[in-house]
Amino acid sequence: MIVSLTINGQKHDLDLKGHETLLEVLRDRLSMTGTKTACQESECGTCTVMINGRAILSCITLAINRQGDDITTIEGLAKGDTLHPVQQAFLDCGAVQCGFCIPGLIMSTTALLEKNPRPSQEEIEYALDGNICRCAGYPKIFDAVRAAGKVMSKVHENKNQ
Amino acid sequence: MVLMLLNTLTFHAPKTIPEAARLFADLKDVKILAGGTFLLNSLKLLKTKGTKTAAHVLSLAGIQDLKGITVDPKGLTIRSMTTITDIFESPHLKDNFQVLRTVCRNISTTPIRNMATFGGNLTCRYTWTEMPAVLIALDARMHFIGPDGIPQETGAEDFFKNAARTDKIFTHAYIPRDTGASIAYRRVKKMSDVDVPLLSLCVKTNLKGKQWSNTRVSINSTTVFAQRDILLEEFLDRSQSHPKLGEEALKHLTVSIYDTRSSEYKQHMFRVCIKTAIEEISR
Repeated sequence: MIVSLTINGQKHDLDLKGHETLLEVLRDRLSMTGTKTACQESECGTCTVMINGRAILSCITLAINRQGDDITTIEGLAKGDTLHPVQQAFLDCGAVQCGFCIPGLIMSTTALLEKNPRPSQEEIEYALDGNICRCAGYPKIFDAVRAAGKVMSKVHENKNQ
Repeated sequence: MVLMLLNTLTFHAPKTIPEAARLFADLKDVKILAGGTFLLNSLKLLKTKGTKTAAHVLSLAGIQDLKGITVDPKGLTIRSMTTITDIFESPHLKDNFQVLRTVCRNISTTPIRNMATFGGNLTCRYTWTEMPAVLIALDARMHFIGPDGIPQETGAEDFFKNAARTDKIFTHAYIPRDTGASIAYRRVKKMSDVDVPLLSLCVKTNLKGKQWSNTRVSINSTTVFAQRDILLEEFLDRSQSHPKLGEEALKHLTVSIYDTRSSEYKQHMFRVCIKTAIEEISR
């Protein structure tokens, strides 16, 4: 069945089978390997993408079921050579260790900050509770979320002025 | 490496409730896809075990009439495809509906809450989901539509008494407003990174001074399906609030409910939860 998926603002007309997950489509059909695959059973959060502004797990999402939705992957955040504020903050704060969980964490962080650029520590932990970092680098990850939030809240304020 | 997480299946995406009800009745070997958080993991697990999986998947995601929350002076309507996040963020959760926010907050993780639906949580037939105990305590009515197009409704209590079986499309639940209700909710999970509750419990009553009345105590998880403890309710409705009420209440449990599928430590946790929930209301 030909399905039109909107990924990072671009339409992709794909002949999809009913059983194909969004994770499989992103990685195997579109070579968007920034979205990682690990547990494949919704436990780890490495496959997190944003759909309509919310963090969603692509390993338990049927791609065919997402026609008409606005899908954003880690590849869609940077604008040319300019990193998204969340990506930049993760680099600046040294929040990346092995890096495997980072795309998922960045997507969850982006979903949080786009809605709430000044989250409390509790709100950060709540928003990131679906993303596991086995390097256990959480303190610097939280630093990065706060740092990105400062940048994004300025962007929000400028937009509102 | 090319993944193939699921067996092949035929995907159906009806746009209306009658169409969904007809397909659900006509298709053999079909599973309903709500949020997908239970279903897709189950299908993957069965595939890895070499077990045959459903030939058809019927997605309800395209049916707008199954989404959203509305409120009227007498109660709250939650449609089945409303996500847990949407319920959590709803401005309508006031009075006795506030407990739903606590329940939603406790469910799993953020991406799961963004995907999982009210209907999926209630009808997936897993015994450990969060919503059933609360819906029974709040005396919710569950509404369904079958292939004949005739709406049907049943109390949440009766639905779970029948092991949450249905051959119809669950459309919405209606929860009556009860501005005078006192509610306590308890949920225990094994460890912080395991999101499945070992037990959930909801106590609701209407206090007239210190006198308990119209009490409902519903429990889930270590029980077979969510159900009320009628003996305990009858005792509480004969009682007045006092500091030892929680302790006394433990002598009036319907023991058979807690015996089923419950190991000793779970039974102990139930007792602790019942006692503290009653004490919370008594205070």
